[in-house]
Amino acid sequence: MKAKMLNLQRHFSVRATGLLLVLLVLRLGLTTAHADAISELASFSIFGKVDLGQLAKSDVKTAHGPPMSNPRFLAVQSCYVVPGSPNQQIEALRRWDPTRHRELKVFLHSDLPLSPTTANFEKLKDAPGNSSVRSFVTATQKLSPELQISRDEAKKFSAGAGGGGGTMPGSVVGFWADVLTARTKSFVSSGMSGQPPYDHAGPSIRASEEVNGLLREQGKIRNQFSGFLGATGIGRGAGSLKPELYWELLDVDDQGVVTLGASYSRGGAGGTYQATDVLYYASGGYYVALTLYQMWPVTVEGKPSTLVWRGDMVSAASLGSLHGVERLASESVTMKNITKAVTLFRRDTSGGR
Amino acid sequence: MKRLGCRVFAVVCAASSLLLATRIFAEENSGNWFGSLSHLPVEYTAEDTYVGGGDVERGPNKSVRDFEENDSIVHLVFTPRIKPGVLRLGAEWERFSFGLPDGAPLPDTLQSVSLVMGLDMQFSDSIIVRAEGQPGVYDTEFDNLGWDSFNFPFLVGGTYIYSPNLQLVLGVSVDIERKFPVIPVAGIRWKIAPQWLLDAVLPTPRLQFEMSRDVSLYVGGNVKQTSYRVPDDFGDSHGIPRLNHTIVTYSEVRTGAGVDWKISPIITATGEVGYQPYRNFDFYRADVRYHQDGGAPYGMISLHGAF
Repeated sequence: MKAKMLNLQRHFSVRATGLLLVLLVLRLGLTTAHADAISELASFSIFGKVDLGQLAKSDVKTAHGPPMSNPRFLAVQSCYVVPGSPNQQIEALRRWDPTRHRELKVFLHSDLPLSPTTANFEKLKDAPGNSSVRSFVTATQKLSPELQISRDEAKKFSAGAGGGGGTMPGSVVGFWADVLTARTKSFVSSGMSGQPPYDHAGPSIRASEEVNGLLREQGKIRNQFSGFLGATGIGRGAGSLKPELYWELLDVDDQGVVTLGASYSRGGAGGTYQATDVLYYASGGYYVALTLYQMWPVTVEGKPSTLVWRGDMVSAASLGSLHGVERLASESVTMKNITKAVTLFRRDTSGGR
Repeated sequence: MKRLGCRVFAVVCAASSLLLATRIFAEENSGNWFGSLSHLPVEYTAEDTYVGGGDVERGPNKSVRDFEENDSIVHLVFTPRIKPGVLRLGAEWERFSFGLPDGAPLPDTLQSVSLVMGLDMQFSDSIIVRAEGQPGVYDTEFDNLGWDSFNFPFLVGGTYIYSPNLQLVLGVSVDIERKFPVIPVAGIRWKIAPQWLLDAVLPTPRLQFEMSRDVSLYVGGNVKQTSYRVPDDFGDSHGIPRLNHTIVTYSEVRTGAGVDWKISPIITATGEVGYQPYRNFDFYRADVRYHQDGGAPYGMISLHGAF
């Protein structure tokens, strides 16, 4: 963008002063808008001053977050430019279907109403018969210590109950439908703080405390999103914003995992948006995962575009055992996956790169 | 957002055990990158290997028969996170003791004490590079150390992360005292199936089967090659004067099967047994080489971990 404006200036430098003034004013205006976005990005993110023109032409820019004292925590930040306004981006994100991309390893995805019933989880019966799902079924039937459920939830499992064939026996479907329904209702009424702990085997872990820990260790990000998060179920209580709820069956490190998620978005001054996506429950693999978005309207090559900052944070027991280069490699894989997911999204929604 | 959100972490933990491997973010401007120094992460190894009676020979008429070997290693490296990557700073001690018959023209002890100085750097989301040197003294009995006993072998290697299940490794090992100072290294780390891992990267290539979260079985090898300075009078005292104060490059290969047992999150015990098919004492500057004539069984125990 900047380069183009400079070329325009050179091209028209011998023309009327009035036109030059218009261009100058126009350019100043655009620069100011960009400068606000770029300065704000630099103020809370790991990225310094980014070159918007370059960023628009390149792939996603990713970086690992600052080191955190809790070894279970990992954070990666990314930023990129996409065509269209922030509002359009939010809509595109809502419409995007990850299950179309096998490489993202999302086997089942289903939206949930604010008052779900066990019937909303019936799709579990249609789970594919792959090794990840089979190991999920086995872990459930054995009430494996690796299952992340509460003691009370574990007591409710009855191997004999229910019938049915297919990959997932009726007893397993029934058990998870009950667990997921209850946890979704709890989230709607009390937010993350109302979620039962993971204490079926081992020490008690609360997803809400994990999210608080992740944000506490990234003070600038917490400050940037504090107002917004306070209005969601991620903060204290259910929050004032209405969540978009969903559940998924996906693969985490070759293990099938059922997870519950909630998305929120809110518009701000000047067409900006903040959004978040939290996986507040997972049957295994990770305790909690949080993605935050900050979107600014910018103009690139004369077209309305959006500068997106994205912060991905996760708390997982398995991360605690990674040290040195292993942890570095995990961050690399996470960055690679974010790049892949964003690239697929851009390709699907804008015919992008 | 739900469509694009957190599932990228699905494979976040799958890329462990990359051997050679970081990212320089000049633009990063936040975070206390030296904060992690307050809790210094450490990796450690204490290992001992016993090799039964083996033979080496030099030409058709000279040999050293039925001698045992003991190889002990203590390795302690701090791995704090700093802005350019993961710093590796520590020390290592290794001692080979050979139960040689009287008069054998070989050193009965090869010993090194070195610093470990390295850095794992992330150059992109696909490439991690490790540069590591081990400056120290590489000698025999440490009874007459001089500057000549100092050596600085180092390696530079890169890992290309093709996917969480497949990584390619390429690097060079440099030791100016070695017969071949620069040795290229290539390897592959491939998670073939959920429980199977092919970690074909020197010096310890392995095929590993994960029995449970805490127990893994493996078959594999261990390739060792280090150069040591022998004493000023070594040749005189062993009847080959040209061996005085020269360099011996000691090499051995072990092949075997073992078990890793993760006793706790910070302690893993390893037991391994196998056969040593290759061993070589090469005083290459003096053109004297004793090579393997008869292999030997071996057993190894090790405690290692990181926290």
